[in-house]
Amino acid sequence: MFGPRIAGEGGVELRPPTLEDYRQNPRWMLLPEVTRFWGPRTISETDADAEERMRKEGARDTSIVWTIAYAGESAGFTGVFDIDWVRRDGETGIFIGRHDLYGRGIASEAVRLRMAYVWKELGLRRTHNWIALPNRGSWRANQKAGYAQVGTYPRSFFRSGEWVDEWLGEAFPHTYPADRLPDAWRR
Amino acid sequence: MALGGVIRGTTTTLRTPTEEDLAAYARWMADLRVRRIASIWHEPAMPDTWKERLKEQTKEKDNVLWSIEAGGRLVGMTRLGWGWEPHRDSAHVDQFILAPDEWRKGYGSDAALALHRYLFDYLDLRRVALELHADNAAARRICEKLGYVEFGRGHEVYYRDGAHVDQLWLLMERAAWDERWGAEHREYAPLGTRTVPGSVSHPKPQAKDGEREERENT
Repeated sequence: MFGPRIAGEGGVELRPPTLEDYRQNPRWMLLPEVTRFWGPRTISETDADAEERMRKEGARDTSIVWTIAYAGESAGFTGVFDIDWVRRDGETGIFIGRHDLYGRGIASEAVRLRMAYVWKELGLRRTHNWIALPNRGSWRANQKAGYAQVGTYPRSFFRSGEWVDEWLGEAFPHTYPADRLPDAWRR
Repeated sequence: MALGGVIRGTTTTLRTPTEEDLAAYARWMADLRVRRIASIWHEPAMPDTWKERLKEQTKEKDNVLWSIEAGGRLVGMTRLGWGWEPHRDSAHVDQFILAPDEWRKGYGSDAALALHRYLFDYLDLRRVALELHADNAAARRICEKLGYVEFGRGHEVYYRDGAHVDQLWLLMERAAWDERWGAEHREYAPLGTRTVPGSVSHPKPQAKDGEREERENT
């Protein structure tokens, strides 16, 4: 499924992805600037395949995907994946492809919007995630929205001669900072 | 890769699953005793659905399924996934289920040891990880004995018997296997030093008297 439009602050917005977003995201995943804490920097689809992937992900009822827009332009994506609707648990993730926009708080705002929707509209009772430990900006963005570290997975993957650990986090509705609820949930 | 071959333990054997196993799989997944302590492979379903699931499993490239036998009886199943590409140097035990009637007979320990011998001694993996329900005392004992260590704890993850229970994340490194089991639990006897027929054998350089002891210890 795709998530609904949620307006945030500082020019950040979550919105349903477009086909152009689906074509753009894999291209970002080929860049060294954004894959230090991401996958193997290879691609396994053509632009034509992106449409089929979009169709499948749009129909999948165990995930919610948004495009993160900044100043009206796509900057990455976020979502909740592998949702277990019985246990009401899911794994969250975020990817900022526009490395020229790093450091502007876009991830923090996107996570704040995403988690508000997760708790206020989806009715999940827990979410969890794994983030590269040196990727402080990412786990800090999640901490600000209520995530807490519950473990460290040692030597998870290898980059530039070093093993990288992962930060394991979880969040619950009661850990979300009530005073940071987006406008859509303030009455 | 999708269906596992034979791995022999002492009292158990991991072998390739067949359609004849599926009725037992269906029974276990519908058993509350199993569901309360472990993550099941699939929800109960029609026999044809189970056949379809086994067929789909044969196409899987990221995980492998085994049935577990003891004394000629089907007593359990296990399924594991491979780590991320491109390295594929780790595995994750997704399911490890024993029939409740076969509990407390040592089959879990034996099958788990055989499986890990295959993973470390045959596939040369770097590590294996898994998740457990925190209240599954029997599984925790097996994991601790094998050499697993806890690296994380998810809170109130599972709901069973009217209450939540935590999730433990456990990890076993290759060094733990080598230290505890590597010397004695080998599937094949060591080959030792062999000379390929037709190759030239080069004599080792002789050490001076004072160097001999040092070299032999390195």
